Amino acid sequence: MQDFLELAVSATASGCIYGLVALAYLLMIRPTGIINFAVGEWAMVGAFGGFLLLAKLDWPYPLGMAAILAFMLLVGWATERVAVRPLAEKGAPLLAPILALLGALVVFRESISLGFGPDPHQVPEPFGFEHQKTFMIATTLAVFAATWFFFEKTLFGKAFEAVSLNRKAAALMGINLSRVTALSFGAGGVAAGLAGLLVAPNISAHYLMGVPLAIQGFTALVIGGVGRVEGALLGGLLLAFAEQLTVRYAPLPAGYAQGVPLLLLMLFLLARPTGLLRSR
Amino acid sequence: MSSLARWLALALLLGGAAFFMSGYYNDVYRKLLLWIALALGYNFLFGICGQVAFSHFAFYGMGAYAIVIFLFQLHLPLPVAIVLGVLLCALIALAVAIPSTRLEGFYLALATLALAQLFIVVLNEGGAVTGGTGGLVDYRLPPVFGARITGPWYTVVIVALVLGTAAVLRRLDRSWFGRACRAVRDNPEAAAAMGVNVAQTRVIAFTLTSALAGLAGMVYAFVDNTVNPPIFGLENAFLLLFMVIVGGAGRHAGAVIGAILLYLLPFVLSPLIGHHHAVVFGVLVVAIILWQPHGLIGVYDGLKRS
Repeated sequence: MQDFLELAVSATASGCIYGLVALAYLLMIRPTGIINFAVGEWAMVGAFGGFLLLAKLDWPYPLGMAAILAFMLLVGWATERVAVRPLAEKGAPLLAPILALLGALVVFRESISLGFGPDPHQVPEPFGFEHQKTFMIATTLAVFAATWFFFEKTLFGKAFEAVSLNRKAAALMGINLSRVTALSFGAGGVAAGLAGLLVAPNISAHYLMGVPLAIQGFTALVIGGVGRVEGALLGGLLLAFAEQLTVRYAPLPAGYAQGVPLLLLMLFLLARPTGLLRSR
Repeated sequence: MSSLARWLALALLLGGAAFFMSGYYNDVYRKLLLWIALALGYNFLFGICGQVAFSHFAFYGMGAYAIVIFLFQLHLPLPVAIVLGVLLCALIALAVAIPSTRLEGFYLALATLALAQLFIVVLNEGGAVTGGTGGLVDYRLPPVFGARITGPWYTVVIVALVLGTAAVLRRLDRSWFGRACRAVRDNPEAAAAMGVNVAQTRVIAFTLTSALAGLAGMVYAFVDNTVNPPIFGLENAFLLLFMVIVGGAGRHAGAVIGAILLYLLPFVLSPLIGHHHAVVFGVLVVAIILWQPHGLIGVYDGLKRS
């Protein structure tokens, strides 16, 4: 029982990370339709930010965290400016920005490996090792609550929703499309960077950490459905439990846990392609 | 000159070149040829059929491992091993493609990314079957009709593979299937309205090109006579995509140009920036997409027109 409780807590914490990455995808997909595979590398940038500010320069955690998230906002915004907006203005097909973002993904990864070397780096926790999982869960819940509030209760959130429902109509109603797109990428950067910063103490900051997170986050999104913000968190939790139960109870080497996202992805695409939660 | 004669002349030229190269250049030449074969196949999938997949290089690896395992652990005869290897790749491709291509969007990209990642895990954890992190070593191509194919003659086999791949894909591109693929890429709704089965076209294109990648992998297995997990890493899947984008997606000549350029570029860049040519590739790709969406072949077309 004790054993199972520990597993449940650790699965919930991982699920929160997947949920945050899924949220980053969702924030960008809904208004633009663009799947940004670079979210995993953004999480990595957040993790390395944690290493640089919190471990190397020894900044106090709240200040360092705020600086990293502000920087991630900038990264998201700048990526949109460079790799997405020029293509949108030219009226290029949707595939073009997705490919440009794949190029950006490689640039992010290789720049980090160039700057910090190929070895993993330790990132500190704010309240010590034993409280890190609680901190991850609490922070994620706060982020999801804030996002929910933003979409449901604020005028700008409604503008976001309007753009994701019908771009043309929203533009005709006087909503500034490019501002919404820029903000969605900035917010995606923050959500992904936060995921990286939170998960870094457990898995260390490493330049190859991005791709697995990108896969797990997208699987969480497919499970939960693109329609609702809560779906991202639900999908993340389900995926994390599936992974941890497989590792714990299936007689397989731990590495095969990486097969769980693929299997769930296939199952959900076949059986329930709209995800668990229907959009309202 | 008839088209058959042109193919034969090309085969003589490419194959004959191998006999004038020393060991090192022969090795580089062989790998370049294999990259061209891969880029041609990937161009059909991505450039002509419009599907983003990251598994092409993983299927190359599957083919390579499959033939070695079939030949030297199950002791099957060479023709049987080749057929089984191609079948294995096709079956795995089908299992991934059928769920992921049913829907609009980029599910195939993610599913194949996960597949490529999982493939490396299986190689590392596969114990005696895959040889773990060290991979499989110390094997030799069994004699074919009593003769051992070595040195430049094996390069001739690779030339045959490249030209065979090119011929099949060109023929396919000009058939109704190629036109269906282009229609599916440009406008799936319109293609469906014209009676093209969109999902089926995508699944067939994916399975076929994946099987071709597997075949190329089988040929690769006897180039270095060793297969190990780092060779088939995910970076190469990105490199393949970048080759096709830089050369010009949807054009066979573009794939060839992109493969040659991006394969040879690191040899030029390494003395300058070491192992970090991937940064240059990333920037190059973003720049090409922003300013020249038709790739280098598009630049050439522009020059020819003006």
